[in-house]
Amino acid sequence: MTILEPSTNEPPPASAVRGARLGVTPDQRRILYAIVAAILLFFIGGLIRPGFSSPSGIAAVLTVACFVGLVAAGQTFVILIGGIDLSVPWTLNAGAILMMSTAANSDARMPFALLVTLGMGALVGLCNGVGIAVFGVPAVVMTLAMNGVLEGLTLGLSGGLTCSSCAAYAPPLLQAAAHGTILGIPAILYLWLGVILLASFILSFTTFGRGTYAIGNGARASYLAGVNVTRTTIILYVISGAFSALAGIMILGFGGQAALGLGDPYLFQSIAAAVIGGVYILGGRGHYVGTVAGSISLVALVSVLMAMNMPEYGRSITYGVIILVLLLAYGRETAER
Amino acid sequence: MDSPSALDPPAEAAGPSAPLLVECVGLRKTFGGVVALNDADFNAIAGEVHALVGENGAGKSTLIKAIGGRIRPDAGTIRIKGQAQALGAPEDGHALGIRTVFQELTLLGGMTVAENLLIGREPRGRLGFIHRRRMGEEAEALLARMGIEHIDPLALVEETSLAERQIVEIVRAINNRPDILLLDEPTSSLVEREVNWLYGQIEELRKRDTCIIFTSHRWHEIRNVADRITVFRAGRHVGTFEDIDESEAITLMTGKRVSTLYPAVPPLPARDAALEAKGLRGGRLNGVDLTLHKGEILGVGGLAGHGHRELFFSLFGAERTSGGEILVGGKPVRLASPRQATRRGIDIALVPEDRKTEGLFLGMSIRNNMTLSVLGRISSAGVLNFGAERRVAEEMARRLGVRMQGLRHPVGSLSGGNQQKVLIGRWLLMEPRILLLYDITRGVDVATKHELYELVSRLAGQGHSILLYSSDAEELAHLPHRVLVMREGRIARELAGPDMTAESIVSAAVRDTAQS
Repeated sequence: MTILEPSTNEPPPASAVRGARLGVTPDQRRILYAIVAAILLFFIGGLIRPGFSSPSGIAAVLTVACFVGLVAAGQTFVILIGGIDLSVPWTLNAGAILMMSTAANSDARMPFALLVTLGMGALVGLCNGVGIAVFGVPAVVMTLAMNGVLEGLTLGLSGGLTCSSCAAYAPPLLQAAAHGTILGIPAILYLWLGVILLASFILSFTTFGRGTYAIGNGARASYLAGVNVTRTTIILYVISGAFSALAGIMILGFGGQAALGLGDPYLFQSIAAAVIGGVYILGGRGHYVGTVAGSISLVALVSVLMAMNMPEYGRSITYGVIILVLLLAYGRETAER
Repeated sequence: MDSPSALDPPAEAAGPSAPLLVECVGLRKTFGGVVALNDADFNAIAGEVHALVGENGAGKSTLIKAIGGRIRPDAGTIRIKGQAQALGAPEDGHALGIRTVFQELTLLGGMTVAENLLIGREPRGRLGFIHRRRMGEEAEALLARMGIEHIDPLALVEETSLAERQIVEIVRAINNRPDILLLDEPTSSLVEREVNWLYGQIEELRKRDTCIIFTSHRWHEIRNVADRITVFRAGRHVGTFEDIDESEAITLMTGKRVSTLYPAVPPLPARDAALEAKGLRGGRLNGVDLTLHKGEILGVGGLAGHGHRELFFSLFGAERTSGGEILVGGKPVRLASPRQATRRGIDIALVPEDRKTEGLFLGMSIRNNMTLSVLGRISSAGVLNFGAERRVAEEMARRLGVRMQGLRHPVGSLSGGNQQKVLIGRWLLMEPRILLLYDITRGVDVATKHELYELVSRLAGQGHSILLYSSDAEELAHLPHRVLVMREGRIARELAGPDMTAESIVSAAVRDTAQS
């Protein structure tokens, strides 16, 4: 349903004017909130369980946050154009299984397996992107259908993980990379840092990033301004698919073996991380830096709740409520402008 | 023209004789740090048509919203029918017999015209469910009673044109038999014939002793229908007049003197064709032939729904054509998307009708809005050069006189006229040879209109070729070299020289439609 917007002509956006005066835009303020929340959670965790906020405790939280953050990188890109990627769970899961069965315990086959797996993720994204941008299928429908297709393919081809190569483990090199440390810091976090730098660079410093924000703020206006909406949309979904597959690979390396249903938690968490980090769910505003802070706070929150011995269902309810509250709060702020 | 100086306003109207229906005293309203109403007074009586005039941002819309209950003033009193009222919601206004037609329309796009017209008073069937068929009939009867035949009550609102929505909105408000009718720029998207329809409705309402308060930027309209005219400037009431001429009013509105609204038409160089359309078809277009010359301002007029929108979008590659060809600089081109139209060597730019959904990104900064058309030029290998970006945006903002706090502020914080300048600036950065300007002065105040006219004239003088559609026949009569009048998807008439008057443009647009 389209409701023609009532006048936004005369009242200038008070929040923007106020924010500019302080040198912080509302978007930047939300990112700050997420960072402050993460720090606070580490502090609280430390009070509840000594060692929670020790270097190794923090490293543990960051490692888990890294998986969420990788998936959420792709999710952030597509949410920024007002889209969403619901095919994350099974793209990730298929990625993990494909990596495992293609590499088949062998380090020598790893480069080939990496290529195949990331290619599979990109291909899924390509299908999503073409369906959405070229054939005009709504993103929710397209990516949800894709998720279903992938689930079926994965279950069918792996025979419920009973295929001959499915008993394999992640190649030792991948496991070593996922568990290893460099200068005392988990190696996997360097990968994440690279992704953060790259994603931020794309969003803030490139014409592609500018086009992405423009589409999120108005697809029709972007098209009429000469932005290549179709191409940008497809590329963003390709990126999202590849990130899901990459996360699948890293999770496989971390866990050693793949399981069915491995990707299920990551759909909600990737969207939640973006929202907590101030990415506007309808597109056009936000930044991956916020999503990173959102991933860390989300995982830190879950860890704190676990440290408090809260059962699984309680944790689910808690972060469901937090997402709703944030959406309400941020939604209000946007209505103001 | 010997108009008085800014400090010497014409005599104000004497106090009203009838009892006051609307009385506002000392209204104040601020949004963020911006003062929209500053100790504003205003009054209106039953059976009068009262025009509110002023520049964009003078507080007219805010005053209308305050009286209609849409916003609550920070200070001051509003008395309706002699009683002080605290209007906090539109419903409060409705209860007092106040109805408002807002400038930005408030219809529900995914519902039909009939559903929108009868919202809240739908005919019920036996079981209390909405009686769909009767609803269609009632809506049709209602539209017919008001003399509207061209709107299908079963059409979805989002499929109707801006003008049709405006009419539905007006019909809905009048159908509620208000005592006080507030119209915020009701004519901004209407063409002449529909404006005349509205005058008729206003006349009827006046006879029923309704008080009608409206805002408009079109002076001849104001003069035609208003009994009294109130001028606002910077959130304050400047004066109320029964008789005031345009230049006096502009002087009061702006505090400056503006001699003539329309600049002289620049001389036309050699007749080189810049843009040609031959037998263009598709959608509503039914074989359009036109030639736009280098340095020419070519006007396009006609009634809404006769294909100008499609023509402009087709020439910009944003609408598919089914036949005919487009030539740029004498060479046939295929334009499959705006991207191709804006390409180097073709250099066509379009400033669309609805700058809020088709042109600007209100939440994004002025700078980012402006430079979107030249991202390629201010970047290398896809990486933006922020220094270059700031320089070009700053220079363009200065050249167009955009009044703003800074380039980093969102475009949404600017007034309508300044938003329009940002949008035009975006395309000027591209250095287009051909500019398609679609109703760029709609909803823009007189002073900014004047600036835009000067700009258009200057651009043509510099060799840009300009195709200009306007819903304002006066504008078409004064600004362009020639005017093409469209009817039923084709060019029905070309007017030039002494024939080019507002009256001849309107009559050319209407004549054959009336016969068929």
